[in-house]
Amino acid sequence: MQADRAGTAGTSIRRVFVATWVIVATLALAACGSDLGGGGREGEVETAAAEGEASGDLFVSNWPFYIDGKTVGEFEQESGLSVEYKEDINDNNAIFAKLQPRLQNGESEGRDILVVTDWMAKKMYDLGYLQNFDKSAIPTVAENLVPNLQSPSFDPEREYSAPWQAGMTGLIVDKSAAPDVTSINDIFDPKYKGKVTVLSELRDTIPLIMKADGVDVENATADDWLAAIDKLDAAVGSGQIRDVTGNDYVDDLARGDATVAIGWSGDAVQLQADNPDIEFVMPDEGCIIWSDNMVIPVGAPNPTAAYEFMNYVYEPDNQAQIAAYNSYVTPVSGVQEIFQEEDPALARSELIFPSEDYQQDCSTQPNPPTDGGDEVEQAFESVTTGG
Amino acid sequence: MTSGRRRVPYLLLAPGLLWLAIFFVLPLFFMGIIAVEEGSLEEGFSLTWRFANFTDSISRFDTQFVRSFIYAGIATALCLVIAYPLAYAIAFKAGRWKNALLLAVIAPFFTTYLIRTLAWQTILFDNSPIVDALKFVGAVPDDGRVLDTTGSVIAGLTYNFLPFMILPIYASLEQMDRRLIEAGRDLYSSARTTFLKVTLPISMPGVIAGTLLTFIPAVGDYINADLLGSSNQAMIGNVVQGQYLDIKDYPIAAALSFVLMAMILVVVAVYIKFAGSEALMGDEEERGAA
Amino acid sequence: MSWLRRNAVMVVGGLIVAYMLIPIFVVALFSFNDPDGKFNFTWNGFTLDYWKDAFAISQLNDALLTSLELALLSTAIATALGTLIALALVRHQFFGRRAANLLIVIPMATPEVVIGASLLSLFVYFQVATGFTTLLIAHVMFTISFVVVVVRSRLIGFDSSLEEAARDLGATPLTTFRTITLPLLTPGLLAAALLAFALSIDDFVISNFNSGSTETFPLFIYGATQRGVPVQVNVLATMLFLLTLVAMILTIVQQRRAEKLAAIRPDAR
Repeated sequence: MQADRAGTAGTSIRRVFVATWVIVATLALAACGSDLGGGGREGEVETAAAEGEASGDLFVSNWPFYIDGKTVGEFEQESGLSVEYKEDINDNNAIFAKLQPRLQNGESEGRDILVVTDWMAKKMYDLGYLQNFDKSAIPTVAENLVPNLQSPSFDPEREYSAPWQAGMTGLIVDKSAAPDVTSINDIFDPKYKGKVTVLSELRDTIPLIMKADGVDVENATADDWLAAIDKLDAAVGSGQIRDVTGNDYVDDLARGDATVAIGWSGDAVQLQADNPDIEFVMPDEGCIIWSDNMVIPVGAPNPTAAYEFMNYVYEPDNQAQIAAYNSYVTPVSGVQEIFQEEDPALARSELIFPSEDYQQDCSTQPNPPTDGGDEVEQAFESVTTGG
Repeated sequence: MTSGRRRVPYLLLAPGLLWLAIFFVLPLFFMGIIAVEEGSLEEGFSLTWRFANFTDSISRFDTQFVRSFIYAGIATALCLVIAYPLAYAIAFKAGRWKNALLLAVIAPFFTTYLIRTLAWQTILFDNSPIVDALKFVGAVPDDGRVLDTTGSVIAGLTYNFLPFMILPIYASLEQMDRRLIEAGRDLYSSARTTFLKVTLPISMPGVIAGTLLTFIPAVGDYINADLLGSSNQAMIGNVVQGQYLDIKDYPIAAALSFVLMAMILVVVAVYIKFAGSEALMGDEEERGAA
Repeated sequence: MSWLRRNAVMVVGGLIVAYMLIPIFVVALFSFNDPDGKFNFTWNGFTLDYWKDAFAISQLNDALLTSLELALLSTAIATALGTLIALALVRHQFFGRRAANLLIVIPMATPEVVIGASLLSLFVYFQVATGFTTLLIAHVMFTISFVVVVVRSRLIGFDSSLEEAARDLGATPLTTFRTITLPLLTPGLLAAALLAFALSIDDFVISNFNSGSTETFPLFIYGATQRGVPVQVNVLATMLFLLTLVAMILTIVQQRRAEKLAAIRPDAR
């Protein structure tokens, strides 16, 4: 090929040229650094100040099935606000991953309120992605918050979080297929081989397994966590435990692929419509308690409207409607009295109004210890990915 | 050759290649830099040129890497075996049903990947009528299951990537000069020999394209493993997703991605060497030289 | 028996097609189901309720519309760009051809998770808000390569004698392209466009990273798997399937008609 031969020298020069450009570009980009948000936001955490009367639009992001069909409309009528209520949070990590780059830049993509679980709220706060509440703007919340949720360890002064609903992680069981399940250790019973699922949430599954072995989860060491993870690993490897799943364990329970599951209290009630034999079972060794909290992200366009909403849902009458619908633990006092008049059966529900007795062995959701935490996370991840 | 003529290919290429350069190559640069960082989201990431991330990712997830290549390999082989007869049927035997059959091949696409895979959940879950029937005839042991097993994941992969294998093979069979087949039949008296010596070789570009279009996305897939498998079937795609979204160890996630791409490229390079590069690259030079 | 032998290939083909349509059938079937609760796994009874209320879930409708819009736009752009590239690669010699080939092939060798995550980092760095536009960019990006591959395989076996004839008769390259090449290439273009459209509607992983608050059909469904997929999803999916089927059948009928007409024109011998 004549053209080729003539152009060989030119080709080589061009190649060197291109290669140099590539190297220069790489170094330039490296120098600019990558803005993947390491280290969180700088500066003080701001307080989202309320400004006069609430007006305009409100954007709330919440988990699905957490609100009945009427509350939002009624709130809009009463307050004059226009509300966009989106049920687009299915997973704490997923919503974090979606929003993190925006939050790093101080924007919330229009959201005024997010609802995230305790540990995610703390994580976001530590990274500077949340704003402090203007306490003077939410008197109803302060007044009606149930006592045992007033000073959680992750936000002792409730400066940036207000519980939406609380819940319990325990056992969800198909009573017709597995009538004798009462303890977490039952998930290792060969009777139920291949019909057990556990949650892929490290902070729910492993503490429960630890509790079943008598460990004090609040003060557990990394070794305790690792031992529990090993126990889980063996059970998953042998097929005793069918799967480590996210929220979609409800699918497995609904169609009978699982008869025993580690799951969340409110879900059990949702499943009963499809299979009345499914029940939430408080394990002998107790449950894990957590709450999903309303938080205000940085860059929220309308915090004043957010406060209005928070006050509204903390009114016992309004909360009663929500609590009846979603069957999780309500954080608002005064609701049980309302139910006692209108729906006594619901007033007795341990799922919505758990008594001290019922929850006596329960622990709040712990985090892995900072010392050795990485190893714990990696070990658990290895189990969830069949490694 | 006028200078205008020389410019034509570049003009043709420019818009598309520019798009790819900005939205594919550039992000990969960033990914490459992240892959050699270390740190955490809380404390910040710093560029320490930590190439150990690459070896770390291989050693930590070797099981999943191997598993992904095996699953994808089996699925691709199955796809080939299933797709070729169908492509052949449509190209040569379908007559007036040709377009209808093509329609039938492509149509499932339009219900979206997730829905198709979810439908298999409905078909294969433990108490479904199909599984009951399979147990009845003994294909599945009484205490066994179909869903959440290696089999169901591979079946899902095969099913979902079938069109990617059918269409390229069909395309290359369809534009074959029929006279070659007639000549072949005159030369070799049996239909089978004609097929092996004439049709199959000429359809190779389609086979190769189909194989690659099936194997490569299958290796990185995670939906099938997610919806049809248990945690024991997790593929490398699941790991990358988990690293990125749950653990948020971005350097390892980025390193994993590069290792995966490198492995795929190695496999593809070997495959092309073996199968003949002009079939893939459509290298006019080699054609001209031949 | 010999009928079977003669038509073996067709029979096998037919069986395979039936296999491919099984999930579609199941999806359609369960759109008529009447589940007790939120989960649509077991047959509970026939009802047309969900077909009557097919558009009852506004979030779902929005998601589907978004997906369709996205697919149409990205298909148009990707097919155009990809065809140009294919033409250049197959018919011209030029410096950087190997590199161009590589650039086309590598996106197909990249896991979707990688493409999705790396694109997101790019958008964040340049402070581009994620949403429909970023989704469009992403969808065009990952479909171009497929268009190129399909069109290129069509071009490789292309009989250029007609084009040469046209040029001998004095047509300029542009006219040749417009009147000869393009029409002859159209089946290949349609195949490529169809593929691009399907890939776009299908996409979940890349969209998940780059959609921001925009929700596409697959994204809605994935969220729904964690709380019970509503029957309307089955209904809409079946509708989508039927509509595309009808559209494609119409195009084929059109094509047939055009071919018939071309056959009776005296000059088209």
